[in-house]
Amino acid sequence: MSAEQNLSASLRQVTVIEIGDQSGDYCAMMLAGLGAKVIKIEPLEGAPSRKLGPFATVDRDPESSLFFWRYGLNKKSLALDLDHQESGAILTRLAAHADIVLLSGQYLAIRRQLELWRGIAADRPRLILCTITPFGLDGPYRDFTATDLTHLALGGIMAMCGYDAGKDGHYDTPPIAPAMWHSYHIAGEYASIAIMAALHFRDLTGEGQSIDLSINEAVNTCTELSMPIYIHNGEVVRRQTARHAFVNPSPLRLPTSSDGVRMLAAVSPFPREIKSFVRLADECGIEHQLTSAEFAQTEKQNPAAAADYRAELVERIVSSRPAQQSFLRAQHHGLPWAPIRRPEENLEDPHFISRHTFASIDHPELARELSYPGTVASDGAEPHMRYTRRAPRLGGHTHQILLEAGFTPAEVEDLSARKIILDRS
Amino acid sequence: MHSDKVRPLRGTRVIDLTWVQVGPQTTRLLATFGAEIIRVECPYPNGMDVVRQVPPFTPNHATPDGGRIQGAAPSTGIPGNYNRSALFNNTNAGKYGITLDLNHPKGRELLKRLVTTANVLSENFSPDQMRKWNLTYEEIRQINPQIIYLQTTGMGKAGVYGNFASYGPTAQALSGLTFMSGLPEQSLPAGWGFSYLDHSPGYFGAFLLMAALRRQRDEKIGCYIDMSQAETGLMLSGTSLLEFQISGRPTTRYGNRMPYAEWVPHGAFRCKGEDNWIAISIQSEIEWRLLCEELGSPEWSRAGKFATAASRRDNQDELETLLTSRTVELDRFDLMHRLQLRGIAAGVVQKAPDRLDLDPQLKARGFYVDLPSSEIGTWPVDGFPARLSRSPAKVGGLPGRAAPKLGEDNQKIYRDLLGLSDAEISALREEKII
Repeated sequence: MSAEQNLSASLRQVTVIEIGDQSGDYCAMMLAGLGAKVIKIEPLEGAPSRKLGPFATVDRDPESSLFFWRYGLNKKSLALDLDHQESGAILTRLAAHADIVLLSGQYLAIRRQLELWRGIAADRPRLILCTITPFGLDGPYRDFTATDLTHLALGGIMAMCGYDAGKDGHYDTPPIAPAMWHSYHIAGEYASIAIMAALHFRDLTGEGQSIDLSINEAVNTCTELSMPIYIHNGEVVRRQTARHAFVNPSPLRLPTSSDGVRMLAAVSPFPREIKSFVRLADECGIEHQLTSAEFAQTEKQNPAAAADYRAELVERIVSSRPAQQSFLRAQHHGLPWAPIRRPEENLEDPHFISRHTFASIDHPELARELSYPGTVASDGAEPHMRYTRRAPRLGGHTHQILLEAGFTPAEVEDLSARKIILDRS
Repeated sequence: MHSDKVRPLRGTRVIDLTWVQVGPQTTRLLATFGAEIIRVECPYPNGMDVVRQVPPFTPNHATPDGGRIQGAAPSTGIPGNYNRSALFNNTNAGKYGITLDLNHPKGRELLKRLVTTANVLSENFSPDQMRKWNLTYEEIRQINPQIIYLQTTGMGKAGVYGNFASYGPTAQALSGLTFMSGLPEQSLPAGWGFSYLDHSPGYFGAFLLMAALRRQRDEKIGCYIDMSQAETGLMLSGTSLLEFQISGRPTTRYGNRMPYAEWVPHGAFRCKGEDNWIAISIQSEIEWRLLCEELGSPEWSRAGKFATAASRRDNQDELETLLTSRTVELDRFDLMHRLQLRGIAAGVVQKAPDRLDLDPQLKARGFYVDLPSSEIGTWPVDGFPARLSRSPAKVGGLPGRAAPKLGEDNQKIYRDLLGLSDAEISALREEKII
């Protein structure tokens, strides 16, 4: 693919100002992955997401937060006393160079900033002002406080995830919120789409607009079958261990490989999968009745027994060899099997290496590079998203950004001396 | 034209070969912002979108001028009728639908005629299917140099596993997302109760297509987007990879607890009634004290075992048992409101009926949208989770309805767009190409 077709610089003419908490970091990082210039404006003590661990070296050190590292890629940091009376004038001057302003946090926490930016936007009709708040800017829950956990609860994801009920149908274990930070992921993806739509609209009309994203609603869109089943059938799905929540329970099947890895290794009763499975079983030297007339009869008359039989064969194949071998052989025959890996087990996987899935980011303070998941798509040769710079130090670009925005060196020095900005350039 | 009438994706045509869940998610979002989505489907069952053919189905009594007002009911579907899938109705809202047999050479020729008029081609078949049909990006580019071609596969088409078979959960298992969810080891992973990687890569698909469409409009350049569900899973694996590289510690599971901040208690607590739960996140000492007061036991916050976040973390099992002994007596919604009044993050673990019928916030914001469909009448579908002040999302898209019936728009597309005569359309029908 020619370089001009790659999308990683497609937002290079777009400048984003990001202010707020951990619910906005991912959205801004997505935009930065397509080349947008993202300026994270932080209070002097650092953005709230710097308080989230795990921590690289020093516990609770704002420069050590791996959350901030992960979601701060490619961004620049300007540290500003957002409570100072002069901050509004400074932000107004910065706004002259911005296309998008992203405010994130609980409604009550961002209310003042929102008022300020609404005023700025009134004079800058091309500005796109996007808020990411827990419940949106109106409604009876507007002022409710929320975390990732409570979002996944109210939004419906949590009720679908967890462990099987006992034989009596009673659950002994609570629903489980999948880890980590997925309400912010889903919200960030939707906010990015909404921002893209607003950019298209501005391309066509010259007009900016405001975007009011509700994290709660974003999570609500992401529950697949549960809502259609209820809306149309009046039935409620029940959570099950490591498989889809359904109205009626299905058997738990997670065979373990000879090297102790759980495998997702099901065979659906589709003719093509059955054929693939016969080839795999033959290759593995497993005796089976899959092609016998008798089994065809069972398949028709008692599908559950046929499924049990297939699962028993799967178990024999998986348990007698290492996970990677089952994975590659099953896939060779066209079966959608995979080992249940830890994320880090993919770091050395030749597939992801060949796709350049991981961005190597230099960390001078550690005297090494770290691999970050850096894209979701390729142009056939190179990733469509590109990350090259580690997350910024607090105030690491204050000086540079203010000069670029037309502040004189004397002004910057004065603001710094009066501790309205923090400059660690 | 007044700018209020301008849809962001005005004049964008998408030839939509996607099926099941992940691909259709993407095109649904483009429909929401005004793109014309032409969903191209195989006319016979064994090549048709499986979602049209599997439950949940809309109740058998639902009629075109009725819908939810006629009531919900379990259904095993109506044999031979492919227009009654409940999931399909939601996932394909806002699109036009035509039938076309791509296994027939004449079908592929017609597809190429459609593609020459389009901005985007989107597909998520098995990785090798488009090559078998001679419809790869390189081939399509010959007839439409500016085309944006989105191919979504489990692993990603480029790379060692490029032709691997995958459903969403396959990619999820490989990426690490399945492993990460659940109680600490010894317990199995709980994984996900649905296919998350049939959702998120769909959102990313819309994001990347919209970036590519802006460039196509400005610079007349198309591109190939090789979207990987497994890669998306890695993108969503949080800080786990960094933590592993720095500390050498393998990723582990934490249940509902919070390993990355001094937030204790942090979990789901049983409430009154069968399988009713409330999620509570305590983020400070003040909140902890207020929680104890609200539960009628201010002395808990003074007990040495629970006086600090660190001591609460050390005694978390006991703490959770103690809290549950109180919450189990309480109504989940009532408790949520009481805790929220004190500024504590608390949320009921809501199931579908709670969300659709009770949730006052979703109601006030008008989240669920009633959309008509030509066969099953009017039913609610998911809205778009953000309000745009100048170019609002419209999930009914250009047709202003939920999903199309199989081949519902054949006439409109083949006659009005491609200019085929009625006789030619009839001939295609007789040959079973459409």
